Amino acid sequence: MKKLIEIENISKSFDETLVLKSINLYINENEFITFLGPSGCGKTTLLRILAGFEKADSGVVRFEGDIIDLIPPHKRPINTVFQKYALFPHMNVYENIAFGLKLKKRPKEEIEIAVKEMLKLVKLEGFENRDIKTLSGGQQQRVAIARAVINKPKLLLLDEPLAALDLKLRQDMQYELKEMQRALGITFVFVTHDQEEALTMSDTVVVMNEGEILQIGTPQDIYNEPKNRFVASFIGESNIMPGIMKKDFLVNFEGLDFECVDYGFKDNEEIEVVLRPEDIDLKPGDTGLNGIVTDITFKGVHYEIIVDVKGKEYIIHSTDIQRVGERVSLSFDKEDIHVMHK
Amino acid sequence: MKSLRVMIWPYVIWLGIIILIPSLFIILATVSSFHIFNDYTFRFTSEFIRFLSDPIFLNAFKNSIKYAGLTTMICLLVGYPVAYFFANMKSKNKTLYIALLIVPIWSNMIVRIIAWENVFKPVSIINLFNLSFDLIGYDVAIIIAMVSMYLPFMIFPIYAVLDKMDHKLIEAAHDLGAGDFQTFYKVTFPLSLGGIVSGIIMTLLPAMTAFALPERIGGGKVILLGNLIEKQIFRGSFNIAATVSLVVMIVMLGLFALIVHFDKEGETLL
Repeated sequence: MKKLIEIENISKSFDETLVLKSINLYINENEFITFLGPSGCGKTTLLRILAGFEKADSGVVRFEGDIIDLIPPHKRPINTVFQKYALFPHMNVYENIAFGLKLKKRPKEEIEIAVKEMLKLVKLEGFENRDIKTLSGGQQQRVAIARAVINKPKLLLLDEPLAALDLKLRQDMQYELKEMQRALGITFVFVTHDQEEALTMSDTVVVMNEGEILQIGTPQDIYNEPKNRFVASFIGESNIMPGIMKKDFLVNFEGLDFECVDYGFKDNEEIEVVLRPEDIDLKPGDTGLNGIVTDITFKGVHYEIIVDVKGKEYIIHSTDIQRVGERVSLSFDKEDIHVMHK
Repeated sequence: MKSLRVMIWPYVIWLGIIILIPSLFIILATVSSFHIFNDYTFRFTSEFIRFLSDPIFLNAFKNSIKYAGLTTMICLLVGYPVAYFFANMKSKNKTLYIALLIVPIWSNMIVRIIAWENVFKPVSIINLFNLSFDLIGYDVAIIIAMVSMYLPFMIFPIYAVLDKMDHKLIEAAHDLGAGDFQTFYKVTFPLSLGGIVSGIIMTLLPAMTAFALPERIGGGKVILLGNLIEKQIFRGSFNIAATVSLVVMIVMLGLFALIVHFDKEGETLL
C-alpha cells in the first residue's frame, strides 16, 4: 500500500496548552482512517493541520512524499466536510455543490453533469434549486459531502459529520459513507468521539487522548487488544483488574492463576487484565471466581448483569436472564483474557 | 405578557401626536393652501405639482442627492474596510475599540458641526499647527464634515453582519479552492450585503435631509431639501414646505421598504 500522508513529529499548542504532542502517523491510499478520542484530545486540531487551517509549531506533514506545510488550504488536493456543514446560505444546493468546479473555471456543461452525478450519489436528485435553509440536517449533510467530493480530492477530511444527526439517520449515513469511500476510492480521514461509529466504518482507528496517539490498529485490534486502560475503557465496556504476569502465558489476578495467550512481558510484571463483558459466561458451581448477582438491566439484545465478586463489581453481558441475589461463578476462555502494561 | 400590553399605550399615543397627526397635516398642507399670515383662507390646490418642476426645488433635490450620495459612497468605501478590520480583530479589547467608534455619536451633532465649521475658517485652532483652511461654502468641506458625521452609521451595520458571520464559511471557501480575494468576492461580500444596504440607508437618509450642516459649513450658499423646507416655512409658504417634506417622506419610506426587503430579520438595524 502507498502512503498518502506522513505526519512526522507534529506538535501544536494554543496559549501554552500543548494540544498535540509530537504526533507520528501515516495514512495509506484508499484507507478509511478514524481519529477517535474524547473532546479536547487534539483530533480536530490534527485534522485542521491536514486541511491547512492550522500550522503546526513543529514537525512536518508530507503529501505523497512532499512537505505541504507551506501550501495554503485552497491549493491542497484535500477537501473537508465540516461539523456543522458550513454550507453557503446565499447559494442554493446547485451553487453550493458547483462552488469548487466554478472556481476551477470548468465549462458549464461539465459542471452541470458533475453536480447531477453528485446529487445522485448523495441521493438528492431534483434538489438543485432548493434553498439551503429548507433542507433537513441529514440533507444538508449530504450537500456538504457532495460539495467536497465533487472536487475529486485525494483526501477527504470529515470533522464529526454525523454528530448532529439522530441515531437512525446516523447509522444509515455510516453505511453510506463507507460505501461511498469504497466506490470513489478516496482516502477518508474521519474524526469522531463515538467509538461505535469508529469501529463500524474504519479500516484503521487511531485512538487519541490528551494530544497523544495511544493506539493505532484495525477496529478488531483496538477492541480486542487495547494497549492500555484508557483505550480499553473508552472503546466499549470492560472489566479491568490489576494482576501479575507470572511468566509468558500465565497471568494471576483476583488471587488465581489463569492460562492466557499473552506473552512478552517481564516475569512477575504488574499488569492490568481486561475482560470484555460479553466474553464472560455465568455458570452454576465453582470456578474460583464466584459472586452474587446484584443488578440486572434489560438492554434489548442482552442483559447487563452486575456480579459482585469479593467486593469487585463485574459487568457481564448475557442473553440469559439471572435473578438478583443468585450465586454464580464466572468463566471465560484463555483467549478472552487480555493483558495490558500498567 | 398581556398585562404588559397596556404599557405600549403611552408610546402609541406619543406616536400619534407627534408623527401621525403632523404627517396628516403635511399631506393636507400639500394639497391645499392656507395663508395663515394673510387671510386665513383655505382651498384645495394642485400648486404643488407645478412646484415639483420648479428650479428651486430641483436644485435642492439635486444637491441632496449629490451630497448625500457622495457622502454615502465615501462612507461605504472607508467604512467597509474598517468594519471588516474590527470584525476580524482577535484582540480582547475589541469591544473597547468599537466603543471608541461610538463615542463621537454621543456628543451633540450641532456641536460637532460647529467644530468643523471653525476648522474650515481661516482663523481657527489648527493655526497652532501652522495650518489654515478657507473652505466654508466649498463642496469638499461639506463632504468631509458629512462623512465624519455619518461614518459610524455605515460601519456598525456592516460590522454587525461581519462579526456574526460563521468563520467556518470562510474556511469552507478556502477549502474548496478559493483564494483570499475569491473568498471575499464570493462569500464574505455577498453575505454582508444586508449590512451594506442597512448602512447605506442609515447614512443616506439623514444625509439627504441634513440641514444644519450645509447651512453652517455651506455658509448659507448650499441649499439641500432640509434647508429649502426651513426657508419656505420662514417665508410662510407652508404649501411648498409641506410639498418638499412629503417628497422627503416618500423617499424615506421607499428606502425603508428596501431595508425590510434586504434584511428580513432586522438584525442590522441599530
